[in-house]
Amino acid sequence: MDIQTRKKWDDASRTYDFFAAVDDRRLGSEKQKLLAKLRGKALHVAAGTGNDYKFFPPGMDIVSIDISPKMLEQARIKAADYKGSLQLREADVHNLDYPDETFDSIATVFTFCSVPKPIAGLRELYRVLKPGGQILMLEHVRSTAIGPVGIMLDLMTLITRKLGPDLNRDTVGNVQKAGFRLRRVANVYLDVVKTIEAVRDDA
Amino acid sequence: MLFQIGDYLAGAVIGMVTALIVRIVVWPGMDMVIAMLIGWGIGTILSMLISFLLSPLLGILETMVPGSLTGMYGGMLFGMRDSMAAGSRTMGAALVVGAVLGIVVTVAMKFYDHVLRGPVIETGD
Repeated sequence: MDIQTRKKWDDASRTYDFFAAVDDRRLGSEKQKLLAKLRGKALHVAAGTGNDYKFFPPGMDIVSIDISPKMLEQARIKAADYKGSLQLREADVHNLDYPDETFDSIATVFTFCSVPKPIAGLRELYRVLKPGGQILMLEHVRSTAIGPVGIMLDLMTLITRKLGPDLNRDTVGNVQKAGFRLRRVANVYLDVVKTIEAVRDDA
Repeated sequence: MLFQIGDYLAGAVIGMVTALIVRIVVWPGMDMVIAMLIGWGIGTILSMLISFLLSPLLGILETMVPGSLTGMYGGMLFGMRDSMAAGSRTMGAALVVGAVLGIVVTVAMKFYDHVLRGPVIETGD
């Protein structure tokens, strides 16, 4: 378990909802559309305080993990409202204790901006995903279409990295490097916030 | 709708505050290159700070992306103008120009968002 990362997110849990609540109001419909595509036994990576649970389709079998026990304490309260099976577990995405090919689908929402080793984390998700399974991601990435914005995101990351996420990652590229095949990538806000749908192809 | 209004207000505030601080720091006759670099630095730092403060209301990216462009380019332009003492002779006029620039950049970003939005890869399976 990455103790440093866990402490960072334990600390962030105190103000997380204050800063993240607005994302649900601005991007809630995108989250809902994406998460509606979850199928079968699903893994939700980075539960946070459970803000995504209200967007899960009802009646599913979902495991929601987070590295931070303080985040999970808050998530448990929101999980109680979910109409389906929703298990919460403390886990590090770099080292999951699930057998190979356990899940039919995986969801991440603003997660791989924060995972310390994103390609290693995505490879671990590839391992636990069944062949033919899909990963659904809503992520913010470095802008390539607007040069100055990319530079600004690089500068901001020097600060935000201490408190939470990196703002300048190439998550689409990382998904491919982990072995997934991209099925759909869409811009949600400029080219900075994207939905990424990818599959494990070795069916 | 409130988010749309908030985005424009945020752009205006970032433009005004950048114009204000640049006007205070840069004096007529200052080397224009130095003035533009100072303006760039001021605008960059201010836009980051204001975006962070407004992020619980409007979202960090929605304020920071247009705000950073207003701050960086506005700071340089205001620095150039103020070093030459060209136009916007009163502080009030400088603030209005700052607000207008912030709103124009926000409009441009919304248009660009409209252009970029949607699928960039779609395999159809």
